[in-house]
Amino acid sequence: MAYASVIGSSAVIRGNVRGDSSLEILGRVEGDVGVTGDLSLGRDAVVVGAVSGARIVIGGSVQGDITATEAVLVAETGRVVGDLSAPRIGMSEGAHVRGSVRTEGASSVPASSSRSQQRASESRTSEARTSEPRAAAAPIERSAPRPVLAASSAPSLAAAASKPMAKKTAPPPIIVAPRPGARARKKLARR
Amino acid sequence: MAGSVVGAGLIIEGEFTSDEAVVVDGTVRGTLTTGEAISIGGDGVVEADLQALSVVVAGQVTGNVTASARVDIQAGGRLIGDVKASRLTIADGASFRGNVDMDV
Repeated sequence: MAYASVIGSSAVIRGNVRGDSSLEILGRVEGDVGVTGDLSLGRDAVVVGAVSGARIVIGGSVQGDITATEAVLVAETGRVVGDLSAPRIGMSEGAHVRGSVRTEGASSVPASSSRSQQRASESRTSEARTSEPRAAAAPIERSAPRPVLAASSAPSLAAAASKPMAKKTAPPPIIVAPRPGARARKKLARR
Repeated sequence: MAGSVVGAGLIIEGEFTSDEAVVVDGTVRGTLTTGEAISIGGDGVVEADLQALSVVVAGQVTGNVTASARVDIQAGGRLIGDVKASRLTIADGASFRGNVDMDV
Protein backbone atom coordinates (compact mmCIF):
# COMPACT_ATOMS: atom_id res chain seq x y z
CA MET A 1 0.00 0.00 0.00
CA ALA A 2 1.23 3.46 -0.81
CA TYR A 3 1.35 5.93 2.01
CA ALA A 4 1.34 9.64 1.27
CA SER A 5 4.15 10.21 3.77
CA VAL A 6 7.12 8.11 4.71
CA ILE A 7 9.60 8.54 7.51
CA GLY A 8 12.58 6.63 6.22
CA SER A 9 14.51 3.92 7.98
CA SER A 10 17.46 6.19 8.75
CA ALA A 11 15.29 9.08 9.87
CA VAL A 12 15.16 10.22 13.48
CA ILE A 13 12.58 12.77 14.55
CA ARG A 14 12.66 14.36 17.97
CA GLY A 15 9.35 16.13 18.06
CA ASN A 16 5.79 15.67 17.01
CA VAL A 17 4.35 14.41 13.78
CA ARG A 18 0.75 15.16 12.92
CA GLY A 19 -1.57 15.88 10.05
CA ASP A 20 -4.19 14.59 7.61
CA SER A 21 -1.81 12.39 5.70
CA SER A 22 -1.44 8.65 5.75
CA LEU A 23 1.98 7.78 7.11
CA GLU A 24 4.47 4.97 7.07
CA ILE A 25 7.20 5.05 9.70
CA LEU A 26 10.32 3.02 9.07
CA GLY A 27 12.64 5.04 11.31
CA ARG A 28 12.50 6.50 14.77
CA VAL A 29 10.19 9.11 16.26
CA GLU A 30 10.66 10.44 19.77
CA GLY A 31 7.43 12.32 20.18
CA ASP A 32 3.75 11.98 19.51
CA VAL A 33 2.47 10.78 16.17
CA GLY A 34 -1.10 11.71 15.28
CA VAL A 35 -2.59 11.44 11.82
CA THR A 36 -6.17 11.22 10.59
CA GLY A 37 -5.17 8.78 7.86
CA ASP A 38 -3.77 5.28 8.09
CA LEU A 39 -0.53 4.65 9.89
CA SER A 40 1.99 1.87 9.47
CA LEU A 41 5.04 1.16 11.57
CA GLY A 42 7.61 -0.97 9.84
CA ARG A 43 9.47 -3.80 11.49
CA ASP A 44 12.40 -1.57 12.52
CA ALA A 45 10.33 1.47 13.37
CA VAL A 46 10.46 2.88 16.89
CA VAL A 47 8.03 5.39 18.34
CA VAL A 48 8.46 6.76 21.84
CA GLY A 49 5.24 8.67 22.35
CA ALA A 50 1.52 8.47 21.83
CA VAL A 51 0.30 7.16 18.50
CA SER A 52 -3.05 7.81 16.85
CA GLY A 53 -4.55 7.24 13.44
CA ALA A 54 -7.47 5.72 11.56
CA ARG A 55 -6.14 2.22 10.89
CA ILE A 56 -2.83 1.46 12.54
CA VAL A 57 -0.53 -1.45 11.78
CA ILE A 58 2.28 -1.93 14.29
CA GLY A 59 5.17 -3.94 12.93
CA GLY A 60 7.78 -2.19 15.05
CA SER A 61 8.10 -0.91 18.57
CA VAL A 62 5.91 1.60 20.37
CA GLN A 63 6.36 2.99 23.87
CA GLY A 64 3.19 4.94 24.39
CA ASP A 65 -0.54 4.74 24.11
CA ILE A 66 -2.11 3.80 20.79
CA THR A 67 -5.52 5.10 19.79
CA ALA A 68 -7.23 4.36 16.50
CA THR A 69 -10.56 5.59 15.21
CA GLU A 70 -11.00 2.38 13.21
CA ALA A 71 -8.59 -0.42 13.99
CA VAL A 72 -5.25 -1.42 15.42
CA LEU A 73 -3.33 -4.45 14.23
CA VAL A 74 -0.25 -5.51 16.15
CA ALA A 75 1.74 -7.63 13.73
CA GLU A 76 3.89 -10.57 14.80
CA THR A 77 6.97 -8.34 14.90
CA GLY A 78 5.17 -5.63 16.85
CA ARG A 79 6.09 -4.59 20.37
CA VAL A 80 3.87 -2.30 22.36
CA VAL A 81 4.36 -0.92 25.85
CA GLY A 82 1.28 1.19 26.42
CA ASP A 83 -2.47 1.10 26.23
CA LEU A 84 -4.36 0.10 23.10
CA SER A 85 -7.73 1.59 22.31
CA ALA A 86 -9.75 1.14 19.12
CA PRO A 87 -13.12 -0.20 17.96
CA ARG A 88 -11.28 -3.16 16.46
CA ILE A 89 -7.99 -4.55 17.75
CA GLY A 90 -6.07 -7.41 16.22
CA MET A 91 -3.00 -9.10 17.58
CA SER A 92 -0.87 -11.56 15.70
CA GLU A 93 0.86 -14.49 17.31
CA GLY A 94 4.31 -13.39 18.42
CA ALA A 95 3.32 -9.81 19.12
CA HIS A 96 4.49 -8.35 22.41
CA VAL A 97 2.03 -6.16 24.23
CA ARG A 98 2.18 -4.75 27.74
CA GLY A 99 -0.67 -2.46 28.68
CA SER A 100 -4.39 -2.34 28.82
CA VAL A 101 -6.28 -3.26 25.70
CA ARG A 102 -9.71 -1.84 25.13
CA THR A 103 -12.01 -2.31 22.18
CA GLU A 104 -14.02 0.79 22.81
CA GLY A 105 -17.76 0.43 22.52
CA ALA A 106 -17.74 -3.25 23.41
CA SER A 107 -16.80 -2.52 27.08
CA SER A 108 -16.55 -5.53 29.43
CA VAL A 109 -20.02 -6.95 28.84
CA PRO A 110 -20.07 -10.57 27.65
CA ALA A 111 -21.50 -11.02 24.18
CA SER A 112 -24.30 -13.64 23.63
CA SER A 113 -27.73 -12.04 23.99
CA SER A 114 -26.70 -8.43 23.72
CA ARG A 115 -24.47 -8.75 20.67
CA SER A 116 -26.61 -6.66 18.38
CA GLN A 117 -26.87 -3.94 20.99
CA GLN A 118 -23.10 -3.93 21.38
CA ARG A 119 -22.60 -3.60 17.66
CA ALA A 120 -24.99 -0.74 17.54
CA SER A 121 -23.26 0.96 20.42
CA GLU A 122 -19.87 0.34 18.85
CA SER A 123 -20.72 2.16 15.68
CA ARG A 124 -22.53 4.85 17.55
CA THR A 125 -19.90 5.51 20.18
CA SER A 126 -16.73 5.02 18.19
CA GLU A 127 -16.31 8.77 18.16
CA ALA A 128 -18.21 9.69 21.28
CA ARG A 129 -16.67 7.56 23.96
CA THR A 130 -18.15 9.36 26.91
CA SER A 131 -21.77 8.64 26.07
CA GLU A 132 -21.28 4.90 25.75
CA PRO A 133 -21.20 3.72 29.40
CA ARG A 134 -24.39 5.58 30.28
CA ALA A 135 -26.42 4.92 27.16
CA ALA A 136 -25.47 1.48 25.92
CA ALA A 137 -23.63 -0.51 28.57
CA ALA A 138 -25.73 0.34 31.59
CA PRO A 139 -28.99 -1.38 30.58
CA ILE A 140 -27.10 -4.50 29.53
CA GLU A 141 -25.33 -4.76 32.86
CA ARG A 142 -28.57 -4.20 34.71
CA SER A 143 -30.44 -7.01 33.03
CA ALA A 144 -27.68 -9.58 32.63
CA PRO A 145 -26.68 -10.52 36.19
CA ARG A 146 -30.21 -10.40 37.55
CA PRO A 147 -31.60 -13.82 36.50
CA VAL A 148 -28.40 -15.55 37.63
CA LEU A 149 -28.63 -14.14 41.11
CA ALA A 150 -32.34 -14.76 41.39
CA ALA A 151 -32.07 -18.36 40.28
CA SER A 152 -29.06 -19.51 42.24
CA SER A 153 -29.12 -17.60 45.50
CA ALA A 154 -31.66 -16.35 47.96
CA PRO A 155 -33.94 -13.59 46.66
CA SER A 156 -32.98 -11.42 49.63
CA LEU A 157 -29.34 -11.59 48.61
CA ALA A 158 -30.19 -10.59 45.07
CA ALA A 159 -32.27 -7.73 46.34
CA ALA A 160 -29.52 -6.61 48.69
CA ALA A 161 -26.85 -6.86 46.03
CA SER A 162 -28.80 -4.83 43.51
CA LYS A 163 -30.43 -2.30 45.78
CA PRO A 164 -29.46 0.76 43.75
CA MET A 165 -30.89 -0.79 40.61
CA ALA A 166 -33.88 -2.33 42.34
CA LYS A 167 -35.61 1.02 42.60
CA LYS A 168 -35.98 1.15 38.83
CA THR A 169 -36.56 -2.51 38.11
CA ALA A 170 -38.77 -3.46 41.04
CA PRO A 171 -41.96 -1.58 40.06
CA PRO A 172 -42.96 -3.78 37.09
CA PRO A 173 -44.08 -6.79 39.19
CA ILE A 174 -46.11 -4.48 41.38
CA ILE A 175 -47.80 -2.94 38.38
CA VAL A 176 -48.24 -6.28 36.64
CA ALA A 177 -49.65 -8.09 39.65
CA PRO A 178 -52.84 -6.05 40.27
CA ARG A 179 -53.96 -6.23 36.64
CA PRO A 180 -54.92 -9.91 36.49
CA GLY A 181 -56.36 -9.44 39.94
CA ALA A 182 -58.52 -6.60 38.71
CA ARG A 183 -59.56 -8.49 35.60
CA ALA A 184 -60.33 -11.54 37.65
CA ARG A 185 -62.44 -9.44 39.93
CA LYS A 186 -64.36 -8.05 36.96
CA LYS A 187 -64.87 -11.55 35.62
CA LEU A 188 -66.07 -12.62 38.99
CA ALA A 189 -68.34 -9.59 39.15
CA ARG A 190 -69.87 -10.46 35.72
CA ARG A 191 -70.63 -13.90 36.92
CA MET B 1 12.49 6.22 -3.89
CA ALA B 2 13.39 8.86 -1.42
CA GLY B 3 14.06 7.81 2.13
CA SER B 4 11.52 10.11 3.68
CA VAL B 5 8.50 11.84 2.25
CA VAL B 6 6.66 14.46 4.24
CA GLY B 7 3.43 14.34 2.27
CA ALA B 8 0.86 17.09 1.87
CA GLY B 9 -1.04 17.59 5.10
CA LEU B 10 1.68 16.20 7.33
CA ILE B 11 3.32 18.46 9.89
CA ILE B 12 6.60 17.61 11.58
CA GLU B 13 7.73 19.80 14.43
CA GLY B 14 11.09 19.23 16.00
CA GLU B 15 14.45 17.85 15.09
CA PHE B 16 14.47 15.75 11.95
CA THR B 17 17.66 13.91 11.02
CA SER B 18 18.22 11.33 8.33
CA ASP B 19 20.91 9.71 6.18
CA GLU B 20 18.58 9.45 3.22
CA ALA B 21 16.91 11.86 0.86
CA VAL B 22 13.97 13.85 2.18
CA VAL B 23 11.08 15.20 0.14
CA VAL B 24 8.86 17.83 1.74
CA ASP B 25 5.40 18.44 0.32
CA GLY B 26 3.93 19.11 3.76
CA THR B 27 5.27 21.18 6.62
CA VAL B 28 8.48 20.90 8.63
CA ARG B 29 9.28 23.14 11.57
CA GLY B 30 12.49 22.98 13.58
CA THR B 31 15.60 21.55 12.03
CA LEU B 32 16.06 19.18 9.10
CA THR B 33 19.38 17.46 8.62
CA THR B 34 20.32 14.75 6.15
CA GLY B 35 23.43 13.47 4.43
CA GLU B 36 21.52 13.30 1.16
CA ALA B 37 19.31 15.63 -0.84
CA ILE B 38 16.42 17.66 0.47
CA SER B 39 13.68 18.58 -1.98
CA ILE B 40 10.95 21.00 -1.03
CA GLY B 41 8.01 20.61 -3.40
CA GLY B 42 5.78 23.39 -4.65
CA ASP B 43 3.37 23.02 -1.74
CA GLY B 44 6.07 22.31 0.83
CA VAL B 45 6.52 24.69 3.74
CA VAL B 46 9.71 24.60 5.77
CA GLU B 47 10.29 26.78 8.78
CA ALA B 48 13.54 25.20 9.76
CA ASP B 49 17.26 25.30 9.37
CA LEU B 50 18.28 22.87 6.66
CA GLN B 51 21.50 20.95 6.34
CA ALA B 52 22.06 18.50 3.51
CA LEU B 53 24.19 17.41 0.60
CA SER B 54 21.96 19.40 -1.72
CA VAL B 55 18.77 21.37 -1.38
CA VAL B 56 16.14 22.06 -4.03
CA VAL B 57 13.56 24.68 -3.15
CA ALA B 58 10.35 24.80 -5.15
CA GLY B 59 8.17 25.68 -2.17
CA GLN B 60 8.64 27.99 0.79
CA VAL B 61 11.60 27.94 3.11
CA THR B 62 12.19 30.18 6.08
CA GLY B 63 15.48 29.34 7.70
CA ASN B 64 19.16 28.99 7.04
CA VAL B 65 20.28 26.50 4.45
CA THR B 66 23.62 24.73 4.49
CA ALA B 67 24.51 22.35 1.69
CA SER B 68 27.82 20.59 1.14
CA ALA B 69 27.14 20.41 -2.61
CA ARG B 70 24.52 22.81 -3.92
CA VAL B 71 21.35 24.80 -3.43
CA ASP B 72 18.83 25.35 -6.19
CA ILE B 73 15.95 27.74 -5.83
CA GLN B 74 13.49 26.95 -8.57
CA ALA B 75 10.94 29.20 -10.24
CA GLY B 76 8.11 29.74 -7.77
CA GLY B 77 10.37 28.78 -4.91
CA ARG B 78 10.79 31.15 -2.01
CA LEU B 79 13.70 31.21 0.40
CA ILE B 80 14.13 33.57 3.29
CA GLY B 81 17.37 32.88 5.11
CA ASP B 82 21.07 32.58 4.66
CA VAL B 83 22.57 30.12 2.25
CA LYS B 84 25.90 28.45 2.78
CA ALA B 85 26.88 26.32 -0.20
CA SER B 86 29.61 26.20 -2.80
CA ARG B 87 27.04 26.36 -5.58
CA LEU B 88 23.81 28.26 -5.70
CA THR B 89 21.34 28.71 -8.50
CA ILE B 90 18.35 31.00 -8.39
CA ALA B 91 15.88 30.44 -11.19
CA ASP B 92 14.01 33.23 -12.91
CA GLY B 93 10.85 33.74 -10.91
CA ALA B 94 12.26 32.55 -7.62
CA SER B 95 12.19 34.67 -4.46
CA PHE B 96 15.17 34.95 -2.20
CA ARG B 97 16.16 37.13 0.69
CA GLY B 98 19.27 36.41 2.67
CA ASN B 99 23.02 36.23 2.66
CA VAL B 100 25.06 33.93 0.52
CA ASP B 101 28.27 32.33 1.71
CA MET B 102 30.13 30.35 -0.95
CA ASP B 103 33.50 29.95 0.67
CA VAL B 104 34.78 26.41 1.01
